[in-house]
Amino acid sequence: MSLLEVSNLHTHFISHDLNNNLRIAKGLNGVTFEVDKGEVVGIVGETGAGKSLTAMSIMGLLQPPARVVEGSVRFDGNEILGLPAEELNKIRGTELTMIVQSPLTSLDPLSRVGKQLVRAQREHRNISKDEAWAAGVETMTTVGIPDPERRMSAWPHELSGGMAQRVLIALALINGPRMIIADEPTTGLDVTVQAQILDLLQGLVRDRDMGAMIITHDLGVVAHYCTRICVMFAGSIIETGPVRRVFNDPRHPYTQALISSTPKRIAEKGYGQIGGPPPNLYALPAGCHYRDRCSRAAEVCHTSPLLQEIGAAHHARCHFATESSSESATVQHG
Amino acid sequence: MVVPILLGITFLTFMLLRIGDQDPVAMLAGPMADEAAFAEIERELGLDQPFFIQFGVYVGKLATGDLGESWQSSERVADEIRNRLPASLELLLSAVFLGAIVGVPVGLRAAQRPNKLFDQVSRFVSLFGFSVPTYWIALMSIFVFFFLLGWAPPPLGRLDLATFPPRDITGSYLVDSLLTGQWSTAWTAAGQLALPVILFSIIVAAPIIKHTRAISLEVLNSDYVRYAKSQGLRPRTVRRIALRNSITPVLTFIGTELTGLLAAVSLLELIFAWGGLGQWGLNAILTGDFAAVQGYVLVLALFSVAVFVVIDVLVLLLEPRATLRP
Amino acid sequence: MTDIAVTSPADPGFTWSGRILGITRRSPTFAIGFLIVALFAFVAVFANVISPFGAIETFSSKVLLPPGREFWFGSDGNGMDVFSRVMHGARFAFGIAVPSAIIMLVIGVPLGLIAGYKGGMIDEVVLRTMDVIRSFPSIVLALAVVAATGQSLVNVVLVIGFLDAPIFTRLVRSEVLALRSSGFVDSAVAAGNPTWRILFVHLLPNAIRGSTAMIAVRMAWAVRISATLAFIGVGIQAPTPEWGAMIRQGAEFIISGEWWVALFPGLALVGIVLGFNLLGDGLQDLLDPRRKATGK
Repeated sequence: MSLLEVSNLHTHFISHDLNNNLRIAKGLNGVTFEVDKGEVVGIVGETGAGKSLTAMSIMGLLQPPARVVEGSVRFDGNEILGLPAEELNKIRGTELTMIVQSPLTSLDPLSRVGKQLVRAQREHRNISKDEAWAAGVETMTTVGIPDPERRMSAWPHELSGGMAQRVLIALALINGPRMIIADEPTTGLDVTVQAQILDLLQGLVRDRDMGAMIITHDLGVVAHYCTRICVMFAGSIIETGPVRRVFNDPRHPYTQALISSTPKRIAEKGYGQIGGPPPNLYALPAGCHYRDRCSRAAEVCHTSPLLQEIGAAHHARCHFATESSSESATVQHG
Repeated sequence: MVVPILLGITFLTFMLLRIGDQDPVAMLAGPMADEAAFAEIERELGLDQPFFIQFGVYVGKLATGDLGESWQSSERVADEIRNRLPASLELLLSAVFLGAIVGVPVGLRAAQRPNKLFDQVSRFVSLFGFSVPTYWIALMSIFVFFFLLGWAPPPLGRLDLATFPPRDITGSYLVDSLLTGQWSTAWTAAGQLALPVILFSIIVAAPIIKHTRAISLEVLNSDYVRYAKSQGLRPRTVRRIALRNSITPVLTFIGTELTGLLAAVSLLELIFAWGGLGQWGLNAILTGDFAAVQGYVLVLALFSVAVFVVIDVLVLLLEPRATLRP
Repeated sequence: MTDIAVTSPADPGFTWSGRILGITRRSPTFAIGFLIVALFAFVAVFANVISPFGAIETFSSKVLLPPGREFWFGSDGNGMDVFSRVMHGARFAFGIAVPSAIIMLVIGVPLGLIAGYKGGMIDEVVLRTMDVIRSFPSIVLALAVVAATGQSLVNVVLVIGFLDAPIFTRLVRSEVLALRSSGFVDSAVAAGNPTWRILFVHLLPNAIRGSTAMIAVRMAWAVRISATLAFIGVGIQAPTPEWGAMIRQGAEFIISGEWWVALFPGLALVGIVLGFNLLGDGLQDLLDPRRKATGK
């Protein structure tokens, strides 16, 4: 049993159009993955592939018209999907915490940093303000905030982007979580700060034996910091496996294209470009959703591909997944 | 920034009054006057001078705080304003207070569950408030509450004829009579205030409901509220964070509405014979009392400036992000 | 785990009943507002047919009769039939709302297009002027201008149109700025379009779309303010069957208990203004479904 088990998660956007016809956008189409402690799982994919939607569904943060219609999310073996807020909050914010992507707009603008750290603890645990304050200072130190005592009394708008992101990490750690979901934790930060933040996160996960899930569209981040990768496309995970394996031997044409589009790889292997718009979630084509953009598309792709096992813990959702990638590379060239 | 806008408004009013074909001289002189009388009045009012001289003279006096004299009553405009403004403010501020303590919670509640029943009903009520003419609903309520039911006193001003006004402290009869301990006067003043205040608060509440809902929805959909939920904070705490963040924009909005409401209250004053600034200003416009109109418009403008200063101070106190404007 | 074959629903197609239901579901306010305005439009067009009497037909022996079988809404102080006058009043409501809306757009939209497109000094001057106009409480300005320029229907319409033009200037300007920053304009310029063509062929349709809901809202205001002016005694005068002027006539009878003279024109006024307001509010929901959820 893994720490977090997501299985067959379907999240839809349900609305009606002006002709009173039901409109359903299938945001997630059966997402399944696991995160165990000590693991850092990277979720990658283009905008609209469902990365953040997956996180929101897990955390119970969906707003109408988005709704989970099917599936299960188990944390430490217990189902957390569909729990009322009071129940969910026994896990959310304590055992399972989140780092969001826009730190400057995510902190309550009207509360000082220290107050937010104290509040985050006292909402969940019965401890004194002084204890909570001391714990806040300690965590601020852990996440590498210089002069933490002084920063505790800073207003959120007085923080730089990198500093605010560290505060978010401090907030995510303050209750000693067993798992962290980081949704694009470093977008908008400059490269040096990005590296510092991610190093910090990786170190913490390792030291405390936590599980982590990092959502990103930066493959470099995944290569550096993650142990496993899940590649998402049109609301499904189309390839997953240990990072090294997937990078060296990608089996899904989309993964191949994605990896090839990082500058170094283009120079080395000369894979084709990704190209093409994301599929229309309101009218996903039957069969393989990547079909229309795939250079290998064939008749068989009109039927849905199964997740095929390629090697140890390496799976891909493609009819041609079992053929070796060098072969598929040549096909792409042809 | 304030002075040029005040000057611009003064100039625009000055020009509008003089390019119109309203003839204040004929109104003052009456039907029997001859040419000489006309010329005499024109000279007295300075209307024989070229436009820019007239304007220069007016602004010159204005700079020394002199608003001139009313053409109709020959009273000093500044005195008239001083005597009448408290009556209007008494009505306006009570109605805004009432409208806000009803409108803000309704707007907040509507935003909690958008498009559910409460939201739809409150939206309809708000649009009704936008649509109902002040004077008409005033007439109808006078019919019902005074003529039919006899609950309200006759709509003849701020006190009944048998009651003397209290000593002038704030200018509000209610407040002054309470301050001086004249309980029966206070009771009468409150009775006279009740109906117009309730009516006007409907007009006031309509935009407050609409904008509070919009502001609150925006806050509820903000990153920080979603993040607060993701932190597992209790729903009550999340609501409190949202509420605190809605206060400043709602206050600012109410402030921006005040000047327009001070003008709009004039129709109620007319119907309830309130004798306030609005009624006086309305009358000045209709009778071509240029000096009084000029003074009225200036007071409205100054009032809005004053409101913005107050709002700025409040925002400064409530908002850590706000800094003093240069 | 097997993937379920994803079926895309059959093309739903268009039916009138579906469209009506769809719009009503998305925005009940729009549907109600539309019904009300349509009803009043019907009354305006067929006022002659609906009314049993002429709008200024007097029965000098039948003054101030309460509502009854002969005069459904009673008769007023001149012995005129209130019902017939209220029906005819709908014509004035539309006669003011529609032309003043046209004037608002004719003045406001081009100014907004130019201010947004040219920017710089022109933008600054236009914006400041509009700010000064809008910084007056509109009722005071309308009253002053109508009192000064003479009391006729045409003047009332012109003044209302002029006072509201700045609202559309601002809306269109911000719309143009948004389109500019999206690179939409640059590509039109690169394609060799002359300025007027960019303004009126490329920008106008997009900019107008954002103003649609506001048009209905300002029509509501136009009807309301014109009635207010008439009530104060400025603008349209009795015995013209205009609702505001009729309420003014009825005001003197309230204290003596003849409520019907003021009640019915007021109800009609509330009805049509509410109709336009609902329409405007609903249009906003329909044109920008996101607003409904986010309140923007």
